[in-house]
Amino acid sequence: MAKAKVTFSDVNVTVNVPVGTRIIEISEAVGSYIAYNCREGDCGVCVFEVVKGQENLSELTKEEKAVLLAHFQEILDGWRATPNLEALQTKMQRENFAGKYCRLACQTQVFGDVTVAPL
Amino acid sequence: MMQPVWLSERVQWIGAFDPGMRSFDVILKTPNGTTYNAYAVRGTDGVAVIDTVKAECSEQFFARLEAVARYDEIRVIVLNHLEPDHTGALPELMRRAPQAKLYISQSAQLMLKALLNRGDLDFTSVTTGDTVSLGDRTLRFLHTPYLHWPDTQCTYVEEEYILFSGDVFGCHFCDERLFNDKVGDFRFAFEYYYAHIMRPFREHVLEALTLIDPLPINIIAPTHGPILRDRPLCYVQRYRELSSQRLQSEVDASEKTMVIFYISAYGSTTLMAQAIRDGAESVPGVRASVYDIEGGDADLFVDLVEDADGILIGTPTINGDAVKPAWDVLTSFAKTNVRSKLAGAFGSYGWSGEAVRMVEDRMRGLKMRVPLDGLRIKLIPSEAELEECRQYGRQMGEHLVGINAPRVVDMADLLASKKQAQAEFNAN
Repeated sequence: MAKAKVTFSDVNVTVNVPVGTRIIEISEAVGSYIAYNCREGDCGVCVFEVVKGQENLSELTKEEKAVLLAHFQEILDGWRATPNLEALQTKMQRENFAGKYCRLACQTQVFGDVTVAPL
Repeated sequence: MMQPVWLSERVQWIGAFDPGMRSFDVILKTPNGTTYNAYAVRGTDGVAVIDTVKAECSEQFFARLEAVARYDEIRVIVLNHLEPDHTGALPELMRRAPQAKLYISQSAQLMLKALLNRGDLDFTSVTTGDTVSLGDRTLRFLHTPYLHWPDTQCTYVEEEYILFSGDVFGCHFCDERLFNDKVGDFRFAFEYYYAHIMRPFREHVLEALTLIDPLPINIIAPTHGPILRDRPLCYVQRYRELSSQRLQSEVDASEKTMVIFYISAYGSTTLMAQAIRDGAESVPGVRASVYDIEGGDADLFVDLVEDADGILIGTPTINGDAVKPAWDVLTSFAKTNVRSKLAGAFGSYGWSGEAVRMVEDRMRGLKMRVPLDGLRIKLIPSEAELEECRQYGRQMGEHLVGINAPRVVDMADLLASKKQAQAEFNAN
């Protein structure tokens, strides 16, 4: 079966995976700091950063895109949002946040080498 | 009783006393109630109302407001903070003074809609540098977000040198003498309010202080508690002290601190804690220290938690759970900001050892980083197991300073080892 390498840059671990594997299947086992809540694409908690290889990830579904956008809005409105909100906000706006550099770990499948990190 | 209180010829307190309040927002205690401070500022071109009060106290607010201004004179309503204890009387005020314009911070816009559930709202969002003129009095806005909501701002009246600070510099303390030089001793309430409301946002406090520092200030008028007119800058200075990083290790970014809390019934978890500390200390740039939970209490440890880069908790498993003092320390994490700090758990156990996983789950729930599985050792650690502890400490230390060696694994092996660990766990 075709293989791909997924590198979690926060813990410096690379996992050899069969293509089609979802990030959620391995991120916790390596101790990466990508956090989950609903695990089914609804809540947007598992949003992560694609450091390298975004072309090797599964296409964005309409649902994932919607959640990413909603999540973005939620962060902006949130009561106790991320500590570096402004940096994140700038990044989101500048870099086409939804779907390119940020994805949901519970949805995204890997089809080639990629480096990921918690947001 | 329902009289306004003069801060100056042009500025009146028109808030409300709530002496019966004992617990605020469920989590805060107050021995003598609180006040909701609202203010009126009069210029040659109309009146501004700065903040309102909790809905239940509206009667006091409107009575005092009517004593200082007619509704048709009100041109400006400023909301420094949208929490319902300051916006409860807003809908009624808008009804009585429909011509008044609302001024809120940029982050408050969506919140205001959610609060009033009205689509037809007319408001102006403002940020640092924006001003509104009342003729011979000018309101200047300061964008001071996250104190303690995203929407918070301060308003400064230039000609009066008065800072309307919102919840910043406030406290839950109800004393009808109102001014800090007249009321009873409220230092405890001021400190308590900072510790429970502002502390998790201390970086934002420091950012706000850089905006406040250049202003000449005669009076600080917060939304709760005494009005600070006697040496107001002492309170600014106190906020700076409380919010500044004090430890050499915090200022020196080249060193990371690891705090290891533990509690032990028969000394096994203590041995683990010491071995983990030794392992972590062997990593250059890591300063690891152990603290026995039994000899302190959760409130005392909050300082350690706030300033640590990594936090480990060691607890034995008793009756299938971590012990209460360990949970108390975990609960106290909410008093500061632990998000993305490195975390881990360990402990000795007799039969089943659930505690470590439970503590780890809680740490993940707090969005801490848990890069390695926690360490569980059955009963008394052997020399080999102590070596495991030292290795765990070393690896955690390496994660802390970011020098952990790269590792390559196959997914199948990774999942198999997890499955085995889970099976052992279930078998116990």
